[in-house]
Formats: sequence, C-alpha cells, structure tokens
Amino acid sequence: MRRTEILIAGAVITAALVWILSAGLGKDPQHIDSPLIGKPAPDFALKQVGTGDTVGLAQFRGKPVVVNFWATWCRPCYEEHPVLVANAEMMKNQVQFVGVVFQDKEEKIQQFLNERGSAYPTLVDVGGKTAIAYGVGGVPETFFLNRDGKVVAKFEGPIDPEALQQNVRKAMAQ
Amino acid sequence: MKIARFIAAFLFATSLLAQEVKVPDAEQFVGRPEGQPVSGAMLDQKTNETAGMLRCPVCQGMSVADSPSEMAVNMKHQVRELIARGYTQDQILRYFERSYGQFVLLKPKFQGVNTLVWILPILALIVGIIAIFSMMGKRAGGQPVDDAPPAEGAEGSDDPYLAEVRKLTGKQS
Repeated sequence: MRRTEILIAGAVITAALVWILSAGLGKDPQHIDSPLIGKPAPDFALKQVGTGDTVGLAQFRGKPVVVNFWATWCRPCYEEHPVLVANAEMMKNQVQFVGVVFQDKEEKIQQFLNERGSAYPTLVDVGGKTAIAYGVGGVPETFFLNRDGKVVAKFEGPIDPEALQQNVRKAMAQ
Repeated sequence: MKIARFIAAFLFATSLLAQEVKVPDAEQFVGRPEGQPVSGAMLDQKTNETAGMLRCPVCQGMSVADSPSEMAVNMKHQVRELIARGYTQDQILRYFERSYGQFVLLKPKFQGVNTLVWILPILALIVGIIAIFSMMGKRAGGQPVDDAPPAEGAEGSDDPYLAEVRKLTGKQS
C-alpha cells in the first residue's frame, strides 16, 4: 500500500470520528430524548400533599393531562410555578394539571405550596419510581398527555407560557 | 338485608382500593419475571453488575452502581428489587431503556449510528496493521524507501547527476 493510500484511509477514519464526536458538541449532555412520546403514559396513583388522598392518572382519562415533575430544592421550579398555576386555573375545565414531587419532604412541599399557591393536586413520589418510569433526568420536567393517556410531548427545564400553551394545544389536538 | 350488607361491603372494599398507592411497575412494560427470584450475596452481585451497565441520568458519565446521587440510589434500589423478584438482566435493561432510551445504557447497542462506534476502531486497527506490514515488506525486500539516502558507491546507478560527477572527476561508470 502506498503512502498516499494510507494517508487517505487515515484521513477518512479521522474525519468519521471527528464527525461522530462533533455531532454531540452542541447538545446539552443532560438532554434525553423521551422514548415515551406516542406511547401510553406509565400509570400511577400517589398520595396528595395536604389531604393524603390518593390521586391517579386513571381518574383523568378523557381529558388532556399535564404532569409536572418538580422539587422544592430545584431553583428553576420556583420560576415556572406561577406559570403552571396561572394556566391550570385558566384551563381548569379543559386540561388537568398534576404535580409530582420526588426526592423531597412533604413538610417542605406543603410550605412551598402555602407560600406560592396551588391550583392542582401535588403528589409525592416516594422512592422516585414514577419519575424513573417517565425517564426523568432532572427537575423540572413536564409531560403532556392526550385524552387517551398517551404522551405527546416532553419539556425539560422551567416552562414558559408559550411552550406550555403550544404543548397543551398538541395534547388537545391528538 | 343481605343485599344491603353486600353493597356496604363492596363500597368499603372499593374505597380501600381507591386509597391504594400505585407506582408504575416493570410488569406493565416488560412482562412477568423470566428468571428465578434471587437473594443474599448473589442478589448484591447481580445488582452491582446490572447497575454498572446503567448510566446515571443526573451525572457526567457515571454508572448507577458508582454514583452517590439520590436518583442513582433510587434506580439501584429498583434494580435490586427487580432482580429479587426474578427479572433477568435483559428485562431490567429493557425496562430502563423504555423510559430513558439508549442513553441509559453505558454500552451502546450494535445498531444505527452506534454501529460506527464498534466498527471504526476495528477498521482503524486493520488499516494500521496493513500499513505496518506493507512498510515492513518493502524494507525486507531490499527496496529503499523514497527518502532514504542512496547506498554508498552505487556504481551501476543511471542517475545523470552521478554520471556527470563521475565524468568530471574522471571516474568511468
């Protein structure tokens, strides 16, 4: 094999490796594409903060549902909370909002809700099994379920009113 | 009277059911356990082995077995519980992959773009070996490499420069 051929082969292999590695450079390493999109949402029924009642997804079937995973130790969750509360009040007849808190203490959650208000059930995910089943990598994360209980969208990070409305419309349409 | 008692008992039972906490279960997604329930030292060993194959979603390149984060600890607990119930390693990996995608697997699967990750190093190794043997073959065959200096006193050379030098110095080739 001539030197030029060896150099060409080396350059091709190097270019392929650089392409593979550079493809991930612009991506958020914590971002996870949800494989749940288009699939039935994992079912759950968890204890509600404050009342102790059990609230489950099944009781909201027939209505689009917004499932928001959050925690009181998460700073961006403070930022998105008013957005969620305002939209839940505004769309209470069309869309059901549910908060799922994990890796947290019920007293702290109750204090948070007392101080910042609430417009929908907040449930405690003891052991984090519900978060794991939804593939939650960090909080806040919000999942949008259509009337049939299928996941139609996932939003990572503190949600803004535009993204919330856009994804709710998607959940209502499908 | 009997009917009234039956209705009361039914309502009580349904109220109890309504109060039951339910978390998503692996059986809903990967079916019933395909292995035998495991306990004791074997359970610890299998838990560490399987958790070592899962990526901690809130860490930078750490496995669920190695990470001290609460998320990883929760995942490891779930792995342990599933192994104890008789779920196989393949079922457990499939369960986590269903939620997190292939991101959660530390060892990428041999499919799609991932194929390149497996093939390219082997290809590079083969090209390297061919290149080394090709160079060694040339040297063993006595052929000088392009930029090597010519052998001293190469009398039979037809280099015009050398011929001119010999002519000028009076040495005939």
